Amino acid sequence: MATKKKRTPHTQNDSWVVVAAAESVTNTQRHESDPAFVRLKNPSTDGASLYLLGSGDLQLYEVKAFEEDFHSWFVGQTVQRDGRLLFVTPMDPLYLILPYMIKTGKEGKFQPVDQVVKDEEFPACSRLLSCTRSLACLHHISEEKEVGSQKFHRYSQERTMSWLKKKVEKTAAALKKRNVCVGEGVKSSTYVRVKPASEDQQEDFLRYAHGLISDYISEDMSKALLTHLGLPEVKSPNETEPPSKKRKLSDKPVEAGEDYTKFNSSDFTRKPPKKMSAAQKTLAKVDKTGMKPMSSFFSPKAKAEKK
Amino acid sequence: MDLSPFEADNSVSCRLASQIPDVCRTEDCCLGVDEAGRGPVLGPMVYGICFCPVSKKEELKALKVADSKTLTEAERETLFQKLEEAKSYIGWALQILSPNVISTSMLQRTKYNLNALSHDTAIGLIQFALDSGVEVKEVYVDTVGPAEKYQEKLSQHFPGVQVTVRPKADSLFPIVSAASICAKVARDHAVEGWKFTEDLGEIDKDYGSGYPNDPKTKAWLLKYLDPLFGFPQFVRFSWSTAQTQMDSKAVPVHWDDDEEDGERVAQRHKNRSMLSYFSAAAECEKSRQDHRFFSDRRLRSVNSL
Repeated sequence: MATKKKRTPHTQNDSWVVVAAAESVTNTQRHESDPAFVRLKNPSTDGASLYLLGSGDLQLYEVKAFEEDFHSWFVGQTVQRDGRLLFVTPMDPLYLILPYMIKTGKEGKFQPVDQVVKDEEFPACSRLLSCTRSLACLHHISEEKEVGSQKFHRYSQERTMSWLKKKVEKTAAALKKRNVCVGEGVKSSTYVRVKPASEDQQEDFLRYAHGLISDYISEDMSKALLTHLGLPEVKSPNETEPPSKKRKLSDKPVEAGEDYTKFNSSDFTRKPPKKMSAAQKTLAKVDKTGMKPMSSFFSPKAKAEKK
Repeated sequence: MDLSPFEADNSVSCRLASQIPDVCRTEDCCLGVDEAGRGPVLGPMVYGICFCPVSKKEELKALKVADSKTLTEAERETLFQKLEEAKSYIGWALQILSPNVISTSMLQRTKYNLNALSHDTAIGLIQFALDSGVEVKEVYVDTVGPAEKYQEKLSQHFPGVQVTVRPKADSLFPIVSAASICAKVARDHAVEGWKFTEDLGEIDKDYGSGYPNDPKTKAWLLKYLDPLFGFPQFVRFSWSTAQTQMDSKAVPVHWDDDEEDGERVAQRHKNRSMLSYFSAAAECEKSRQDHRFFSDRRLRSVNSL
């Protein structure tokens, strides 16, 4: 009846539907630079992701998109087909600075920070250092040395871990406050607990928070953080390999350790035959000479029958 | 006929009824059911019932009511006037199903087909007569779908009422003819006085018969086809004529209960389609998955606007 509708590929939009704090998109302080979307290296994937720098590069925001199939927007007198809702939310610039710090930290030298945060692929990354929270917070992830008026930095795993641990704990507290449902058993985000979260759920909250923070750090860092938090790694059952079927410990024939049937086998023979229904009894009396058993119809024909 | 309750909002279903004659509450009555405007792609479908005491059947015959299809519009109007004049013993009730109701019923997630809609409307009207105190003893219905099944359904629904479902009932039983006249007159008036809720300016009313096979109707539909919204509410979207035009001329709109090809379904269920095993370079899987806080909420990082 209805013909199959062809999907035309999504084209770039010239407008978006965005949820953002007013101060993130306006230049109230008359700073030199207006708010701008920039592409920076995503610390979790190493790929490019979109971020927004507020006016004067004072605050970093990450950009997340709500995307689901079959959504469109009606905006005023127009239709926007992507149905995407962008969220511009404040973000700690240290997460983006961290990968650069780790990279140069491998050289083991103290370096001025403007030489650390440098990237030909993402030239905008140097603007991260203008953020109000960048320079003042670098001591969370590095050791500092002051020579004259210049500051030098070197990556510190120890400091970073305790900084991230605090982040996880803060996130866990926020999750608890918002009644976000955590734990392996919870499969739906809309699941609502009737009872308030109990104390023994603390680990679930920490684990969930760790997962959330891991979206902002590299995979190696995430593993190290898990150990630092003292949370044992759990393997989901589907990841563990299934036991191989042909498990042979010895060549001896397999025998049950305790086999009780051996001793009372004689009892079986003494058991009276099962009671048959009236129908079964009459069937049993039927003369079956010359009749093939049912199973013979399913087996390949015997060659003898072919003449 | 006063259609103002329907014209106040022509996007919904509306019931109109005459005064219930006093004799109908005391004497055993017969009741006829018929519909008008089942086939057209334009305008409402109207269900009508007419009832009168069994003892007055002959008087009804004397009014020379006949199948509405054999009459001209003017003749139908005169006959409806005659029915109105006989209001001391003839009562009627109508259910106007707007094209919008028909479209949304048939196109909703759990499909509600036109036969079911028709049956339920007829049942609703008979129930209305019973609730109003009419002593209904005999019901005559023109068939919709298989006559026997329909008759059984109605008999079960109204125990104690003798139900007769018959094809061409509108020419066999005067009470059904009377119902068909009421329905047809209401439908004519509703279509003629249709108030378009859409802002279409000076509307061209030359749409022919309104039936899908009428070239004039098709041309009219094409003229008022909006590439985005489709048609005015006057049009039944669920008719294949309307759908075919929208498929070819309008912007494609996808709903999540659309039938999809296997490729897309697989993609959504995160399965790999069989075809993907044959394509040359399988794109490398994303090594890290977003945390479920984000995936549960359908949130993703973006790398371009």
